[in-house]
Amino acid sequence: MKKPNLAVDFCGVRFPNPFVLAAAPPTDDAEMIARGFEAGWAGAVVKTLGLEHVEVNLVSPMMVGMDYEDKRLVALQNIDLISDRDIREVLPEVRELKRSYPDRIVIVSIMASTEAEWKEITRRVQEAGADMIECSFSCPHGMPERGMGSAVGQNAELTYERAKWVAEAADVPVLIKLTPNVTDMRPVAEKVKEAGAEGVTCINTVKGLIGFDLDSMTPIPSVDGYSTEGGISGPAIKPIALRFVADVARDVGIPVAGVGGVVTWKDAAEFLLAGAGIVEVCTAVMRYGYDIIEELNEGLLLYLEDKGLGSPMDLVGKGLPKIVGHGELSRATKVLATVDEDTCIGCGACVIACRDGGHQAIEFAGPDAGDDARVPKVDDEKCIGCGFCRTVCPVDGCLTMQPRED
Amino acid sequence: MPETTNPTAMTEDGRTYAPHEAVIEASRCLMCEDPPCNQGCPASVDVRRFIRKIRFGNFRGAVRRIREANIMVGVCGRVCPQEMLCMEHCTRAKLDTPIDIAGLQRFAGDVELAGLAPVPEIPASRGVRVAVIGAGPAGLGAAAELAKAGVSVTVFEKADSPGGVLTHGIPPFRLDPSFATDEFSYVERLGVTMKYGVNADPAALLGEGFDAVFVGIGLGRPYTIGLDGEDLKGVHIAGDLLASVAAGETPTLGDDVVVIGGGNVAMDAAMTALRLGAANVHLCSLESHEEMPAFRSEIDEVLGEGVVFHTRTMPVRILGENGRVTGYEGIGIRWKTPGVLVPSNAEQIPGTGFGLKADAVIEAIGTGVLDRFDGVETDQRGVIKVDEETMKTSMDRVFAGGDIANGGATAVLAYGEGKRAARAIIEMLDRESGKGGGA
Repeated sequence: MKKPNLAVDFCGVRFPNPFVLAAAPPTDDAEMIARGFEAGWAGAVVKTLGLEHVEVNLVSPMMVGMDYEDKRLVALQNIDLISDRDIREVLPEVRELKRSYPDRIVIVSIMASTEAEWKEITRRVQEAGADMIECSFSCPHGMPERGMGSAVGQNAELTYERAKWVAEAADVPVLIKLTPNVTDMRPVAEKVKEAGAEGVTCINTVKGLIGFDLDSMTPIPSVDGYSTEGGISGPAIKPIALRFVADVARDVGIPVAGVGGVVTWKDAAEFLLAGAGIVEVCTAVMRYGYDIIEELNEGLLLYLEDKGLGSPMDLVGKGLPKIVGHGELSRATKVLATVDEDTCIGCGACVIACRDGGHQAIEFAGPDAGDDARVPKVDDEKCIGCGFCRTVCPVDGCLTMQPRED
Repeated sequence: MPETTNPTAMTEDGRTYAPHEAVIEASRCLMCEDPPCNQGCPASVDVRRFIRKIRFGNFRGAVRRIREANIMVGVCGRVCPQEMLCMEHCTRAKLDTPIDIAGLQRFAGDVELAGLAPVPEIPASRGVRVAVIGAGPAGLGAAAELAKAGVSVTVFEKADSPGGVLTHGIPPFRLDPSFATDEFSYVERLGVTMKYGVNADPAALLGEGFDAVFVGIGLGRPYTIGLDGEDLKGVHIAGDLLASVAAGETPTLGDDVVVIGGGNVAMDAAMTALRLGAANVHLCSLESHEEMPAFRSEIDEVLGEGVVFHTRTMPVRILGENGRVTGYEGIGIRWKTPGVLVPSNAEQIPGTGFGLKADAVIEAIGTGVLDRFDGVETDQRGVIKVDEETMKTSMDRVFAGGDIANGGATAVLAYGEGKRAARAIIEMLDRESGKGGGA
């Protein structure tokens, strides 16, 4: 069989693979982006630029992580702002990057205020050689107070107006980066489409408050004793991102650059199945470095090979038809918790989970069973097939949900 | 925790978890239903519960919960052969490796030292007095359990400090004596009266009006082999040598040292010899590697430090000049009856004799009963006979536990036996006073 090719066409642009560095610290200067390209990233969204008169006054510290047990950085909160670099320095770098890496896709993220400014920055970025433009309508902190960022993306009319300004000024494809801090992203995405932009990037960070320092009883990250709500990224937000990508891809029918919590090729494949045409990555790159692209590319390639598919584009939206309303789900199929006694190690995690989190349907066989005393037994009268026990079993494939025979 | 030890360090190496590392290790715990680890602890520590407390960031709760069951939190975290106890039962071993319960317990013990630990609310005095003879692990287990139940307890200890073999027989690189003393002193905070430098007798104490006596005096008389040359200068009894090192002395042994024995004391003696400056340490045991009674982890440490083993050999004689040790002669053996690992069952194999240069020879071949009490029934070795359920001896109102009653085992087993005896004593006293459900 022919080896799959990772290249994808997205909004009329050819990407050597579907993986793009998201607008963030890893794309704040050309030297960094060049290292990303050397590592194998197909493209980069240059960290959001404003016009030279826009003051960007950063705070420090601006990032703090959330750990869970043995896992560091399950989520990251940032209260960073758009790039504090002067656009007059950055644009020549964009031109140089395109000269050095003509096959890579340089997208420039922009943010502005008035129509004139949006159009001016669009033209200047385009002149510098950007392959695409991404407009941040979605940063949840700092900018909304100034009528920008998610203050735009939460309002369909403001989104429409600004997307139209940029689309009118741009010759290259335009992506509008949307905020998940809405109950439904589809009305906003509809307006993006109507305004003539080529696609959307979803999602930006989820607005949150990551925690407190318990000694001082103050919120974190502490900026001289105070903090503010910020943007949450990292693995914790992946389910939220996938949901918005699927909503927009299925119901709006506009190309989607998927982003939010991607670490591995498996995460990326899921974004493609949910309808993303390319996948942006930020927090995982910040944490592990640019060379995780090797695992994204190789893992995805091998997956495509396994599935007999020739291109990542064959995956895009493939999972959408199976996402239906709750009411449309079958009530006829019932499953039963089933324990593989050969691989069970007898920890009883399922016993506890079912007793205190389910329907008291699982108990140890008990002393009468001799050596099998610690093998869990499922009471098929009580088991409603909820599946929670399967989520706690520490042995791969030991506890499964099998169709009921009755 | 790293497995290698430093053969030059006489003090503890401080191998312990940082808080986030402890959480990482604790989060490997499967939090089993009816956890098998708990059944492995002779001191009835609720292992799953304390690990859960560490996992969810309740470190002080963890150490307090352990200390309720066993005041020797950090001590047992250091000296317990947990790979033979709780860790042997750990379900996680069926997936990969067991939880490092010892390391987590040691971590917990460092979170809140005994001197800072809160004292539980002790019920009103029951108006009864119990004497405990011996301040080793068995005596401390009994004393703590009795005191927490409102019993007035006096401990009579022959030595001048608590801990028994833990402070007088374990080298400081394994257990820091000042840390151990801090943990043991917790019994005083529970209201126990300690009397040191006292030889006590159970019958006499009952005569003085104590309502019951617990005997936990340990063994205390090291065996000697009876070899030619045993009286030479440079021949040491391991127990005496370790006690002097534990007391802070640094005797000179010389470059070449031979240790005789295959138990934990022999392992400690070999490691101590290296730390006292010996260049070459040889360990000669009757047993093969697999047969040695020492804990596997200790044997591995000794091997890792470069001690040369001569297993399945027996001593022939100790050589000397001018009254000083100069060498050691041994010979290979086979067991006449397989599996019976005693000297009388060893048969020399002709032609397997060997000689070793030696400046010192340390005998570590076991310990027997030192003190006996009139009227308390024992076996022929002097080990006190007890009822396994209650630890009661043949003498009315006298109970016993630890090495003196089990012939020699672990500190944690001794502690557990002390607790068991304490509960039986309380039950007996309650029954007599008409309290409780006795009758």
